[in-house]
Amino acid sequence: MGVMTATSSPQQPSGPSLAEIAARLEADSAEVSAPAQLPDATPRVEPAEGLSRRRAARRVDGAWLGGVCTGLAAHLGWPVLVMRLVFVLLAPWQFLGVLIYGVLWLVMPLEQPTEAPGLEAASRTGMRTTQQQVRGADVGAIVALIMLAGGLVWLMQTMGMGWQPTVFWPLAFGSVGLALVWRQADTAGLVRQAGRRRWFGWLRVVLGVVLVALAVTIAVATQTGIEDLPKSLAVGAVALLGVAAVVAPWAFRTRSQLTAARERQLLADARADMAAHLHDSVLQTLALIQRQSDDPKAVAALARKQERELRQWLYGETRDDSTLHSAITAAASEIEDERGVPIDVVVVGDDVPVDGSLDAMARAAREAMLNAAKHSGADRVDVYVEGTDHSVEIFIRDRGKGFDPGTIDESRMGIRGSIIDRMTRNGGRAHIRSSPGEGTEIRLETQR
Amino acid sequence: MTDATTPTTPAAPATPSRFKVVLVDDHAMFRAGVRHEIGPLVDIVGEGADVATAVTSVLTNQPDVVLLDVHLPGGGGGEVIKQVHAKNPDVRFLAVSVSDAAEDVIGVIRAGARGYVTKSISGRELVDAVRRVAEGDAVFSPRLAGFVLDAFSGAIDVASVDEDLDRLSQREREVLRLIARGYAYKEIARELFISIKTVETHVSSVLRKLQLSNRHQLTRWATDRRLV
Repeated sequence: MGVMTATSSPQQPSGPSLAEIAARLEADSAEVSAPAQLPDATPRVEPAEGLSRRRAARRVDGAWLGGVCTGLAAHLGWPVLVMRLVFVLLAPWQFLGVLIYGVLWLVMPLEQPTEAPGLEAASRTGMRTTQQQVRGADVGAIVALIMLAGGLVWLMQTMGMGWQPTVFWPLAFGSVGLALVWRQADTAGLVRQAGRRRWFGWLRVVLGVVLVALAVTIAVATQTGIEDLPKSLAVGAVALLGVAAVVAPWAFRTRSQLTAARERQLLADARADMAAHLHDSVLQTLALIQRQSDDPKAVAALARKQERELRQWLYGETRDDSTLHSAITAAASEIEDERGVPIDVVVVGDDVPVDGSLDAMARAAREAMLNAAKHSGADRVDVYVEGTDHSVEIFIRDRGKGFDPGTIDESRMGIRGSIIDRMTRNGGRAHIRSSPGEGTEIRLETQR
Repeated sequence: MTDATTPTTPAAPATPSRFKVVLVDDHAMFRAGVRHEIGPLVDIVGEGADVATAVTSVLTNQPDVVLLDVHLPGGGGGEVIKQVHAKNPDVRFLAVSVSDAAEDVIGVIRAGARGYVTKSISGRELVDAVRRVAEGDAVFSPRLAGFVLDAFSGAIDVASVDEDLDRLSQREREVLRLIARGYAYKEIARELFISIKTVETHVSSVLRKLQLSNRHQLTRWATDRRLV
């Protein structure tokens, strides 16, 4: 048996670190190219970054009906229950609540969940098991809602606040039928349903159409009299068929053209974005690495920077620049690039907007990271940020040469002035633990 | 497909202390890199490039540890763990990933992986992590400790209504926080005046709670963070 089989690695002649880095980078860039080649019929449209999204959108998650209440509640910052109550209370008044709800349902766009491109690509290609979060609405809640609505309508009808029966029944059947069909069209656009759910969807459409037909029948019957019903219906049906026959090919072609055009456009956009991104980032880095291939340290720094950036782009959340987490992460990346020492940031708990004392804290943390990267001689710095309801803590730790905190001399002005004093001035505290040979840990704390 | 499951003869004669490892990653480049790096220190007995080949390779080769990518064609790393554990619950998995998506990492841990490291880990550290997983310990990187702390703290308001919720003990939280701050087990032991063995016990217990904790709270945690 040979020492190497088909799978074993070709032994790269260069040093292990370089080979490893190149391999990693290659792996990364291979992963990036994957999404670009995927023809995807329904990519979600990403909201442009930095665009403020202060528009109310319906939310499927946690919704009872169309998600209007949940969407409005999230938009206004009110409890969902209040929104629901408002609509229910408006309902008895000539069905005003129902009407408004219906209009909002049509007008408000559906909230589109977005994910980082890498994660979306991984989901599409089946590289990860995504939890199906389209929560099947609670059967109990739906039954309760229907009973409530039925009771409400019955109450209004018996109290004489409603409409005449000749108008009411067609209207009731018609609106229930329309609601069923519209709801189906609504959710089908969002989630491509499969198996049992798809069958359920068709059932819903058929039921809705039947109800609408029933409504039309009743309306016609009450207007023209029951004996003329078959004739009127036949006339209506023939007219409909005629219109459908004339319009069908045209509608079909328009529809398929529209779909094809949209697909092409989205695909082209995605490809262009991807190509631009790869060109701007990965290709530049690869070129730099080739030119500096005799300097392992520079290569490592380049690879790490590129890796961080690509990972942020592929998997990262869109970060808001004004929060503590993003401020610390940004400072860490900056120092990492500047000094060539890896800084690992772990954030836990609530993210908070950077203001007053927290701004000072972020600056102090930056100074501490810089100190560690510059003076400690450690090959790595660990930063840990934890926010609770009462306080924010940041730990900056290195395993470098350390010093005696009792004798912070003049050369370590950064620690006294930029960290300890700055924290105290802003109502926080800085605690420094260090001893020669043991490394340093700086703990910053601010009450909220 | 065929090459992915072919057992490889080790370059050096296997000694009993060398661990058998199966390498699962859909990038051949990465597999080659890892093999090159840690091959001299462990026995890489098989490889897998997607869920199907990984499951076959793991079940035929019976490794001590499986190095498992989080994102894999065929359903991801979690799927491999599920299918393997259905047949052989003793196989130990260590998740290796380039993605820092908390949802996916926690997902693989919950499926049964005993630790998580990023792909930028050095060869020496990786071998050390493999050893610890093979010996039955958990491997928590600072980042994983952060994710786990988040996972459990996000569930606290649920705990008030959910009685059977497994919450972290004070000590387990302390250990996790120190890991997240970049402390090694040895340093944690010194810091808390406990033995390294006790630190390992705490970490294993956190892992168990995470794998047993009910679905609801994690779903909620993920929803709150807009991860799903």
